[in-house]
Amino acid sequence: MRRLSEVLWLAMRDYRHEWVMSGCFVLALAAVLAPMMVLFGLKVGIVGSMIDRLVGDPRNREIQAVGSGRFGPEWFEDMRARREVAFVVPRTRSIAALMDMQAEKGGRILSVELIPTAPGEPLLGEGMPTPGGLHQVVLSDGAARKLEVAAGERLDGSLARTFQGRSERVHLQLEVVGVARPAVFPRDGAFVPLDLLSALEEFRDGRAVPALGWEGDIGEDPLRTYPGFRLYARTVYDVAPLRDALAAQGVEVRTRAEDIDLVQSMDRNLTAVFWLVAAVGLVGFALSLGASLWANVERKRRELSVLRLVGFRTSEIVWFPVFQAGFTALLGWVTASLIYLGVEGSMNRMFADRLEAGGVVCRLLSEHYAVAAAVTLAAAAMAAALGGWRAARVEPSEGLREV
Amino acid sequence: MLIYHLREVVKTRESEGVAFRLVVPSLQIALGEKIALIGQSGCGKSTLLDLLAMILRPTEIGAFRFRPEPGAPPIDIAEHWRYRRLNDLGDLRKQRMGYVMQTGGLLSYLSVRHNIGLSRRLLGLPEDDTIEELADALGIKRHLDKLPGKLSVGERQRVAIARALAHRPSIVIADEPTAPLDPIAARKIMGLFIELVEQMHITVIVASHDWTHVDKLGLRRLSHRTRQKEGGSVTETVVTG
Repeated sequence: MRRLSEVLWLAMRDYRHEWVMSGCFVLALAAVLAPMMVLFGLKVGIVGSMIDRLVGDPRNREIQAVGSGRFGPEWFEDMRARREVAFVVPRTRSIAALMDMQAEKGGRILSVELIPTAPGEPLLGEGMPTPGGLHQVVLSDGAARKLEVAAGERLDGSLARTFQGRSERVHLQLEVVGVARPAVFPRDGAFVPLDLLSALEEFRDGRAVPALGWEGDIGEDPLRTYPGFRLYARTVYDVAPLRDALAAQGVEVRTRAEDIDLVQSMDRNLTAVFWLVAAVGLVGFALSLGASLWANVERKRRELSVLRLVGFRTSEIVWFPVFQAGFTALLGWVTASLIYLGVEGSMNRMFADRLEAGGVVCRLLSEHYAVAAAVTLAAAAMAAALGGWRAARVEPSEGLREV
Repeated sequence: MLIYHLREVVKTRESEGVAFRLVVPSLQIALGEKIALIGQSGCGKSTLLDLLAMILRPTEIGAFRFRPEPGAPPIDIAEHWRYRRLNDLGDLRKQRMGYVMQTGGLLSYLSVRHNIGLSRRLLGLPEDDTIEELADALGIKRHLDKLPGKLSVGERQRVAIARALAHRPSIVIADEPTAPLDPIAARKIMGLFIELVEQMHITVIVASHDWTHVDKLGLRRLSHRTRQKEGGSVTETVVTG
């Protein structure tokens, strides 16, 4: 132990004494390692962002019906029971899902598209209240801006019908319980409870809505069916099986399954490409490092043989170049990491305006740095140990009189 | 009390068709003796010194015994070589020997103080005044914290002598320690060296090509003769003493 620390001390002295040479080795190592880290950072960053976006954006989990059908309560019960389904709510006829709105304090009248919602709404996300009852809405960002209202304010909603030959218009007081983020819904829309949408459809169809005091024909269809649905799979990977299950029922749907497949295959292909490049780079890197360390040991043969003469053992002499290779590996890794961090920062700034908030093109996790360090150290130590063993095999007298 | 006892030790070296052979029929060196090995370069002095320093493996060994301490049983070096116990030989060198090389052999990255103290550190010897005293005796005290590269050749040789003595070995082997110096400096350094060795009761073997300046120091000269054999393709040197 004492002798090893002695070797470490000597190796450090020598390394510091020959700082120009040491610096060259460190730079040579960093020059190979840094581009590989950038390459891997790009792969992790780009594919990671794509997957994050894919998984994070609920629209990628949406399954939309093409055309209209007849979906009864049992169908919705069945869908809710499925493991792949995260959220399902009926849609009323789209012609009935429009309402004129105006802020209670005045301002313009806006025709707003109503979207049925329920607890667990995937588009609104965490922290947004779910509208309930018949008077609560969550406005889309666009609608809220045009109506000039914020959460907590009141709206006047109105809709008209032609009933028994005459035109009628009813008004309804609405409370804005929340305003969705801009990305959630790009048009003028309002998330409302299904009950409200159903009531509006009843009214338009000329039937009475007692809960809101609207008159009309009595006699509701006891087996209510809906022409459509809003359906979200639990994960992006559940989309394709759900699509297939619905196709088997004869329901034609539109999904983003192809986009998901595309990203997944791109991830696979990019990973394969990276490992190919990394393997070539790593072999080249190990060879160049090994060659330079080997040359270093050859150059130091005389001094190593002096140590041998003084009484260091073979096993201790081997550590001399190994320690120095370790310094090179560590310093080279630190330099490469710093270069990488600089490149990462400027690259992410460069592409910042083309990315969604929080997205990056280049990123490495802490375990990636650790892996880079471990691989570098292992390669360096192996190359140096070979050289050191070679030097230690030389009889001490041989090295002594070499000029 | 013999420190070295060699019988029928042979080292053969061959390069570019010319063979060189060193033959030691019998060599006995007593503890505390001062030995001089005089001869022109190429006569095999360095080879013999390397054999005695146990850094060169003999081609044939009749007997090779080394007794570094009076009273202790002799160590069979022949056996160490036969079983390639290089580490044991290294341990012996480390504890028992000092070596002064023709040119420095100092570690360029260590200060003079650390160069002199290298063997002491390696042996875990306590830090005492040894280094200062040696440096003082050799007149290099003011250079203790410099790197060897900053010293003159003569000063470097003084450092090499100090390093060889610092761990108080049983024997010091010096291979032309004054060869790179002018005669006056050479005589002065050689005188200092022998004086120190005598004071410390260390056995010494010095190789030199110049008899005149070791003559007065009371060293025993080993006799050797060199002859060409087999039509000039083999040079053989026989050393006895």
